[in-house]
Amino acid sequence: MTRTDPDTAVRVAGLTKRFGTFTAIDDVSFTVERNKIYGLLGRNGAGKTTLMQLLTGQQFATSGTLEVFGASPVENARVLQSLCFIKESQKYPDSFRPEHVLASAPWFFANWDAAFAARLVDDFRLPLNRPIKKLSRGQLSAVGVIVGLASRAPLTFFDEPYLGLDAVARQIFYDRLLEDYAEHPRTVILSTHLIDEVSNLLEHVLVIDEGRILMDQDAEQLRGSASTVVGKKTDVDAFVAGRDIISRDGIGGLASVTVSGLSEAERTAARAAGLELSPVSLQQLIVQRTTSTTGSPTTHDAVTATDAWSTHS
Amino acid sequence: MTDLMTGTAASVHPRSAPTRIWNVVRLHLVDRRTYIGIPWLIVGIAFVITVFIAQIIGFTTGGLGTPDAIEGQRYSWAVLSPQWYLVVVGVQAISFGFPLALGFGVTRRDFYLGTALLFVLISAGNALAFAVLTQLEQLTHGWWLNSYMFNALWLGLDGFWVDVFSFFVMQLLVFFVGASIATIYMRWRMPGMLVFWSALALAIVGTIMLITFTSSWPTVAIWFVAQGIAGIFAWLLVPAALAALGGYLALRKATPKN
Repeated sequence: MTRTDPDTAVRVAGLTKRFGTFTAIDDVSFTVERNKIYGLLGRNGAGKTTLMQLLTGQQFATSGTLEVFGASPVENARVLQSLCFIKESQKYPDSFRPEHVLASAPWFFANWDAAFAARLVDDFRLPLNRPIKKLSRGQLSAVGVIVGLASRAPLTFFDEPYLGLDAVARQIFYDRLLEDYAEHPRTVILSTHLIDEVSNLLEHVLVIDEGRILMDQDAEQLRGSASTVVGKKTDVDAFVAGRDIISRDGIGGLASVTVSGLSEAERTAARAAGLELSPVSLQQLIVQRTTSTTGSPTTHDAVTATDAWSTHS
Repeated sequence: MTDLMTGTAASVHPRSAPTRIWNVVRLHLVDRRTYIGIPWLIVGIAFVITVFIAQIIGFTTGGLGTPDAIEGQRYSWAVLSPQWYLVVVGVQAISFGFPLALGFGVTRRDFYLGTALLFVLISAGNALAFAVLTQLEQLTHGWWLNSYMFNALWLGLDGFWVDVFSFFVMQLLVFFVGASIATIYMRWRMPGMLVFWSALALAIVGTIMLITFTSSWPTVAIWFVAQGIAGIFAWLLVPAALAALGGYLALRKATPKN
């Protein structure tokens, strides 16, 4: 690679990070396209923060290649100036107040918008001259969110930014992110547990579990990739026979089965057979797929994983 | 590389290395209290206490301003009172500054060079200020109160420029020792601390043993006297430079702790 690919923000191949005998990131490969909002989803300890630390040059990879805007981010001033990563556990100097963070941020983020930052301070009701040590968990998160948004870095990372934020503040965050993203397109990687809350924001989903990428899929495709079929048990069973069943539920003579990949013709057929089709939320889908792999991986998971790869290789 | 990110609304014009390094200096100084406010507040408090103690001693012994009384005040460490705080500042420059700077997209190299530049600037400023205060104290005969705080220990003996030089070296040493210890922790955590402190203790005990067993204490004493104040502080540049260089090497592969 001698030239920078104008459409690619991140390219990762065979990336592995070990801490002693513990493998935090296990042979991971994916790409991140520019000017899209990515969701980095996974359970606690799945490797989300480690992956983001690797992408921002804060951690050193054990093996594999990692390119951000065409080069390794490690000690690369040109690349790092285009990144913003205020992580959930970000440390600040003992005596700092939020005003110090907001005063110094413009020196490091060339696209910093002070007016936008001031508006966000009002939105989140952040007390500017209270020592950071004395802020509540939510107010501390707000500091990170404000820096992340107002920095307008070409590649912005939000690592579980909502920690301690109330529902109103979280909604403000989602709204401001979308508004500002529409005006100033950039690449955003958002790691979160609250999948359904951000589901409308995400354009692409990366699911990570035990250091491996489990899903790498367009969010829209993913939402359409499964449907729940509800109806009489016999009808449902007949319809789903031979299909890729993700989960099954039922009471008495009724059954509710989630299957992957229904074509338009199949949907019509299902409705004709008196079955009800309902969409599956992103969260349900991801929970189902990640819980089914925590035990012994079954064949259909292996197939789904391969499908996810092939759409993006 | 020039075609990078063109056509994107959110593109960034790269900043030059001197700008990036200077921005790290500004980041450390964004809260002025840490490096300037609190140290000088400590000096002020120490000064008031020194004046009080001098007056008490003068009242009980019946005379201040005699050569003996001035000489007696040389043993006061009040002039070094902010140094205990400044070691901690050196530690925190790394332990808090490093994770914050990395979050702001600063490289380890730029962070370290900026931090080292800050240490040099603050040390130079403090050295000049303390040397000037030492001279003023002599001119005013102890601030018209016969109370001497700055003409203490080695300061005020060999003239203005030796004071500037010696204070500068001492201040640099204080900052870089604090910073390098924090850097060892940042890089190797607790095992690093154990190895560092054990090695340091062994080195000190070993040196004392070597001098004692070879009966070299008189030679050492003669050597120290021969160096003079300026000479001894010139030698102290060696540990300061070692701490600065060692800190840089350790930080290059350090990762911020969570």
